Amino acid sequence: MAKKGKLVVTSAPFLKEEVFINTAMRDVIIGLIPISLVSIYFYKAYAVMLIATCMVTAALTEVVFRKLMGKEHSLRDGSAVLTGLFVALLFQPTVSPVTAILATIIAIGVAKELVGGLGMNRFNPALFGRVAMILLAPLFAGIAVKAPNLGTIDAVSKASTLAMLGGGMEMPGYLEMFLAYPGGALSESSPLALLIGGIYLYKRGHINWRVPVSMLGTVAIMAFLLGQDPIYHLLSGGLMIGALFMATDWVTAPITSSGKLIFGVAIGILVVIIRVFLPPTEGVAFSILIMNAFVPVIDKATRHLAFLEPKEI
Amino acid sequence: MAVKSFKGGANVPHFKSFTDDKEIEKMPTPDRVVIPMHQSFGDPCEPLVKVGDRVEVGQKIGDSSEFFSAPIHSSVNGVVEEIEVLPYCTGEDAKSIIIRVEGEDQEFKPTIKRNPEDMTREEIIEAIHQAGIVGMGGASFPTHINVNTKEPVEYLVLNGAECEPFLTCDHRTMVERADELVAGARILSSVIGARKCLIGIEVNKPDAIEALEERTKDDDLFEIVPLAVKYPQGFKSIMIKSTTGKDVRRGARSAEVGCIVRNVGTTVAVYEAVVYGKPLIERVVTVSGPTIPKPGNFMIKIGTPVGHIFDHCGVTDFNDATVILGGPMTGRAQHSMKAPIIKNSTGALLLPSEIVRASEPHENCVRCGKCVARCPMRLYPNQLSMLAEVEDYEGLEAWNVMDCMECGICVYSCPSNRPILEFIRHAKPIIKKMELARRGN
Repeated sequence: MAKKGKLVVTSAPFLKEEVFINTAMRDVIIGLIPISLVSIYFYKAYAVMLIATCMVTAALTEVVFRKLMGKEHSLRDGSAVLTGLFVALLFQPTVSPVTAILATIIAIGVAKELVGGLGMNRFNPALFGRVAMILLAPLFAGIAVKAPNLGTIDAVSKASTLAMLGGGMEMPGYLEMFLAYPGGALSESSPLALLIGGIYLYKRGHINWRVPVSMLGTVAIMAFLLGQDPIYHLLSGGLMIGALFMATDWVTAPITSSGKLIFGVAIGILVVIIRVFLPPTEGVAFSILIMNAFVPVIDKATRHLAFLEPKEI
Repeated sequence: MAVKSFKGGANVPHFKSFTDDKEIEKMPTPDRVVIPMHQSFGDPCEPLVKVGDRVEVGQKIGDSSEFFSAPIHSSVNGVVEEIEVLPYCTGEDAKSIIIRVEGEDQEFKPTIKRNPEDMTREEIIEAIHQAGIVGMGGASFPTHINVNTKEPVEYLVLNGAECEPFLTCDHRTMVERADELVAGARILSSVIGARKCLIGIEVNKPDAIEALEERTKDDDLFEIVPLAVKYPQGFKSIMIKSTTGKDVRRGARSAEVGCIVRNVGTTVAVYEAVVYGKPLIERVVTVSGPTIPKPGNFMIKIGTPVGHIFDHCGVTDFNDATVILGGPMTGRAQHSMKAPIIKNSTGALLLPSEIVRASEPHENCVRCGKCVARCPMRLYPNQLSMLAEVEDYEGLEAWNVMDCMECGICVYSCPSNRPILEFIRHAKPIIKKMELARRGN
């Protein structure tokens, strides 16, 4: 009965689904490849520089902050570079590198590591960093150097479709806007590319349909009720990346199914209110962050009964 | 064919193709068997034999005067070599009778043949009791207690879900022993006064569904219920919900909701006990794993050490693999090759380290929500693991930790590889103590 090799004794369950934080983060990065490629196609070196700057800054920030807090770096989970990529995609190609770097440092350092690291953050780090730079812009006005001139590209100076929508300008056709149309932040250049990435994440089981569907549906209905063109609303600004990649963030969205629906609907309502009644800038980012704050309340209100709980009283 | 299902759960890879077409074979008798005196829910048995005694196949060698217990029998002809306290597959220690096998013929020879229709209810229950029948799907609750209901129970639910990966022993039993299974179900139905016998089978076993449809189509007592292939379909309260639609309330016994659930292997054992007086001395065990040269379904005598089984199946090298008795989601990893098969051992698995879940390292919960969506008991495993981490036992109780039936789907799903179940297993006895203390006041 003598056999070679020793036995390993652990506890049940002995099987594990091949989904880990790093594989999930890797999949989200894969999901962002189409939109990254479209923005590089439009903005060439500007997009490449911005993405590289933010990803490198994100990694460095994580290493430094964790070191200061006496923890080992967790670069292997991929969440830092992913956040860096997200931050980059939320900026216009001509943004000052200083602004982009500060936004990334705030995203990783403040919104993630200072509050306890991945899993403990209440706000979506990338959106937090992006919005912080809007609110803090006056402080940094002096040091926000202009982006280096990386060549003359028409697309770079185009107004975003959202600004065109707000300004009552003549809009491009639906199809053109859906496929790819430059202007605004990197992530605003192609709803189709974002949709491909979102479908990939859905197929891989990382995101649930409830948040994107309720959020996009609400925006369309609200826009229609307010006499606006729902399709332009769906295709412009940060709505697509917000609905598919930001509001679906595991850590900062409600955990229950009904909570996810409420969360999506509420964000949708806020987006349209901001877009229609307020200066239409970063409405999606603000809406998601506002609702991030309500997640504990939503989770509590939508807590479901246990299987063994008496169903009738 | 309407396929029934339940809320939660997940598709876990089956790994059943290693053995699902392998006919049940007899495993040769080992040189020695080790028979632990604690093989059922409840109290252990005391040995009825002493060192040096000669024992026969089917002879009762352990019994208890306590209510929650079932007698234990010798699975071989031989001589009692030793009686000592040994660790066995549950991880606990039990007095164990070690029998040296003697003689070529090790088969149980029935001396009687009874017709269950001529027997009273009491005689049948006594036959089940004397044969030491316990739930063979894992719970090992003594069957004679389970079926001795005060009031008639509406449904007999036969559990043929076999939702655990790798295991095919129930599948093969349904295909190869369908007649005995149906006869056993008739006996159990008459004992509990069931109006209906529902046989729940996951649809990945079409040959089992067909075999049982074939034998029950003219009998109104039976209904085959095809079930979605989803883990943990075969857990008792889930089974009741899927097959009958009834909710099981916290603390309610299944008889109180009008259901008795029995495993298909147990049902065949009941048939043999009642008709032939055959005690539970052997069972079908799935021996499987991706690296086993000759996997299969084997009729194995209780007390056979796993080392003997893997020898027979051609295993020569363990290579840091994990040996599991039971299924890979709820079974127990074994320390020793001497660990014996007991009455509820559904499988003897050898899993290579590549597919065994690494217990380290784990991360913070990232709130992906998979455990919440998949928990069949509709709990919040993420919350439970975090409360357990900070030892907040009141919080754990408020989040219904005691409902957890430890199916393991949360741990299987967790991207942070959190040892949710270890936390819960650690907390449960502490909360039980708190409950008892409260009741004491």
